[in-house]
Amino acid sequence: MRRIGLIFATAVLLTACGGPPAPAAPAAGGGVTVQNCGIEVTVPEPPQRIYAAYQPAIEMVHALGVTDRVVGTAFLDAQVLPEYAEAQAGTEYLPELPSREALLATNPDFIVSGYNNIFSDSGSSSIGTRASLRELGVQTWISGPLCPSADGLSDEAIDPASVTMETVYTDVRGLGRLLGVEDRATALVAEMQERVAAVEQQVAGAPRPRVAVVLQGEDGSFRVAGGKDFVTRILDMAGADNAFADLTGTRHIPVGVEEIISRDPDVILTSTCCDASYTRADAEPDAERIRTHPALANVTAVREGQVHGFLFADRAAGVRVPHAVELMAELVHPDRR
Amino acid sequence: MTATLAAPAPTRAARRGHPALALAALATAGAAACGAAVLSLLVGIEPISPAQVVAAFTDPAGRDSDLIVRHVRLPRTASGLLAGAALGAAGAVLQGLTRNPLAGPGILGVNAGAALAAVGALALAGLGSLGGYVWLCFAGAALAMAAVFAIGSTGRGGATPVKLALAGAAVSALLHSLTSSIVLLDHDLFARYRFWLVGSLTRADLATLAQAVPFVAAGLLLALALARPLDALTLGDEAARALGARLAVVRGLGLAAVVVLAGTATAVAGPIGFVGLVVPHAARLIAGHAHARVLPLSALLGALVLLLADVAGRVLLRPEEVQVGVTAAVLGAPVFLYLVRRRRIAQL
Repeated sequence: MRRIGLIFATAVLLTACGGPPAPAAPAAGGGVTVQNCGIEVTVPEPPQRIYAAYQPAIEMVHALGVTDRVVGTAFLDAQVLPEYAEAQAGTEYLPELPSREALLATNPDFIVSGYNNIFSDSGSSSIGTRASLRELGVQTWISGPLCPSADGLSDEAIDPASVTMETVYTDVRGLGRLLGVEDRATALVAEMQERVAAVEQQVAGAPRPRVAVVLQGEDGSFRVAGGKDFVTRILDMAGADNAFADLTGTRHIPVGVEEIISRDPDVILTSTCCDASYTRADAEPDAERIRTHPALANVTAVREGQVHGFLFADRAAGVRVPHAVELMAELVHPDRR
Repeated sequence: MTATLAAPAPTRAARRGHPALALAALATAGAAACGAAVLSLLVGIEPISPAQVVAAFTDPAGRDSDLIVRHVRLPRTASGLLAGAALGAAGAVLQGLTRNPLAGPGILGVNAGAALAAVGALALAGLGSLGGYVWLCFAGAALAMAAVFAIGSTGRGGATPVKLALAGAAVSALLHSLTSSIVLLDHDLFARYRFWLVGSLTRADLATLAQAVPFVAAGLLLALALARPLDALTLGDEAARALGARLAVVRGLGLAAVVVLAGTATAVAGPIGFVGLVVPHAARLIAGHAHARVLPLSALLGALVLLLADVAGRVLLRPEEVQVGVTAAVLGAPVFLYLVRRRRIAQL
């Protein structure tokens, strides 16, 4: 099923839109138009009622300094970074995604989402496709590295080629133009680039450990982050490789415990989620479950004490990336930091 | 399943249940189930030789192959044997009891009850032990079936098949709506519930499975003890009464057997459709309608089907793994359609 979906998605990608967001162009009426996920997002003037769904979007709007225009935020995976804590404390927050109706009741003119499922044409988290929201005069934005090939699709339709740091920077710049905070966006990109470059320089030339980022279900099953998940890029920038990078059907791949044993990762990270109070300390029980899993006892990561608690929030494509890359480098290259 | 497909249309003797033929079928199914269990120990992502499997039991030394066989494949295989046998036998009892060819354990609210319990367990989070989680599901399934039976036995005529089916549908609908309302309020819970909802054999560890064994054994024995009265029941209530069967007692004990068998299977592996529904039909096709043969054959075929489905799930999309709930339905549906087309399946 997933294979078929992938083939279909690829076909759609080849025949239709897709591609990285294009640079902003002045719209006819004097507004601003920016491409996002192959969709033209046009605002006559900077949006004044912004809704931010999911951690990457929430941190993005605070980082761009438009907190005072935010009418609501929903669904944090962990605590926001300290620099945004004060801003977040002053905004409306829901621990769950609102329904379409509840979200529209906040009367937003712009919705930023950190993940694509909120605009999928089906599914429990959906508030409707982007086209259906545009009809109501609500413009929308998805984090660039999570762009599905067409409106209404979700993780299965992400183009792996778009999962790059450059896409994140394009995102920041594009949102900066739309929200009328271009200078702030430019400065933010420069700061992010600088921090990432510093880490890349530190780990350059070091041997690259193979890292598995896993979620363990209550039923003993495992899902791993595949090549399409942004954590693959974060690992790359921190001087490591995703042990499951070759699996690219969707962001999370269900695998048996034997597959993890077979790939024998040097490091295993958990993917602890989703509560606005979570810090890395809350990931410790998840890590302990992996350390004590009887079948994993011989895996290099377990034998060498390289199983670490990690937050799902630190896998995301957004302004948190420099923090995540620095943290990741500390975990996989402690000698270099 | 190949044995089923290859089986010729049953002769009149077989339909009456020719002893020698039925015995041969039982022996074949038993051998096939054993073969599937061996296959389940041998097949997986990591290539493991028969010698390594033997060594894992006779001379465990903490090698990769030892850990995989003992902590991954053995619990999976045991789960498949237990859940498969329990589901097959539960389906056969239930179909006989209700004279409903479409009866499966789900019809009595097993899955709905277990689902609500699972969601409750997930919602309470921090449920450290897998064992606790498994038995909560069992309690949910048993409570749901008890409620169905209690409601179904009120009124005139006691627990008739129709009343039971209706009560089952109503209770299932109620429990499902409760489950839905809980998971829809909690996005994270919904995501986890989705995974529970697809049955899998990777849930229970050996310690939990050891606890499940006596339940399945007791359920199977109780079912076998009811073989004759179940035969009488298939002739209809009047005829059964004329033959001396005490309807209320048979129904009560039969449902108790189903509660124990299906409840344990669901607790161990989550909701698995189709096995309990299809396998008894295949068993009747092979061995006739006498429950003394249908019940053990259903148990063996159930284990066989579930193990083969799980092995298929490991290799079909490798390195990804498909849960047995999916493969069992995907492989089971065509077989069921084949049987429906080929046989007068509605005859019970």
